[in-house]
Amino acid sequence: MKFAIALFSPPSAPSSRRALRFAEAALHGGHEIVRLFFYADGVHSASGNIVSPQDETDVARQWREFVTSNGLDGVVCIAAALRRGVLDEQEARRYERQAANLPAPWVLSGLGQLHEAAQLADRLICFGGD
Amino acid sequence: MSHSLLIISRQAPWAGPGAREALDIALAGGAFDLPVGMLFLDDGVLQLALGQAPQAVQQKDLTANLQALPMFGVESLYACAHSLALRGLHETALEVERLDGDGLRALIDRYDQVITL
Amino acid sequence: MKTLHVLSSSPFSDDRLSSCLRLLGSGDGLLLCGDATYATQPGNSHAEALAALQGVSLYALDEDVQARGLKPAAAIEQIDYPRFVALACAFAKVNTWL
Repeated sequence: MKFAIALFSPPSAPSSRRALRFAEAALHGGHEIVRLFFYADGVHSASGNIVSPQDETDVARQWREFVTSNGLDGVVCIAAALRRGVLDEQEARRYERQAANLPAPWVLSGLGQLHEAAQLADRLICFGGD
Repeated sequence: MSHSLLIISRQAPWAGPGAREALDIALAGGAFDLPVGMLFLDDGVLQLALGQAPQAVQQKDLTANLQALPMFGVESLYACAHSLALRGLHETALEVERLDGDGLRALIDRYDQVITL
Repeated sequence: MKTLHVLSSSPFSDDRLSSCLRLLGSGDGLLLCGDATYATQPGNSHAEALAALQGVSLYALDEDVQARGLKPAAAIEQIDYPRFVALACAFAKVNTWL
């Protein structure tokens, strides 16, 4: 099956880690992930600025590694990201902000990418809240 | 054929960006000519209340954007009758079809995909 | 094929579970994750409400049950992530109560 996975929560939420475990299981099960789309507070799960204590799970880093090592399409909603202060280099320059905190492999784009993924996939699954 | 998407909006209008972000998904879907419906459930029905004055809390007028839904091609608008009654809402700022339990179940069954936020 | 509903918040802190119970139809599934697994502990009102459901398949994410030291009724299937993925395929759609 083709999955579109949407995440609505930050890396401190159990649902962010749960989404990652689901995504890993989907690939191990031979399924395809059409796109990961991070929306609402989910944009924080793509932040490159999280500093996790050494003895805690670094979910943001694990998401980055998961997307990179599997060559997945990881999209962060630009409107949700801007209002929450998650900016890539281009947006940081555009809005003259102090820091860019959205690293590769994440790409900023619009809600059209969520809709496209939902249309391409067999299943849309969302994670968020607790 | 396109997958149809039901957006279930459960948050009160001024509880943070949730209500706006649910609406944005619906508007974007409509803008792309996709079959999108919207259901207001639980505190989401509070978005439909009359006489709101968002400027009092320095917020944008959500009602105006909700009223844009049909213009974006999103005409399938529903509200949970129980949620409305519980909150004492008899009139709504938007024309919505009120559904009871059986109606809600049938509604969800009709759609290919659901996002509840 | 029906809908798999997914809950992850404590039923003692918000109304997601009670709203979900009003919307569940025959043939639907309900997966409890995270703090929603507290609903499965025998003896509380939510566990009783779950036990009274007809025609709904009940699931709980095993890692969350274990983390919380819960003992769900046998009628609630404890699942791992591969089974979660399989359920997402088996049901026509997934409705996560964010």
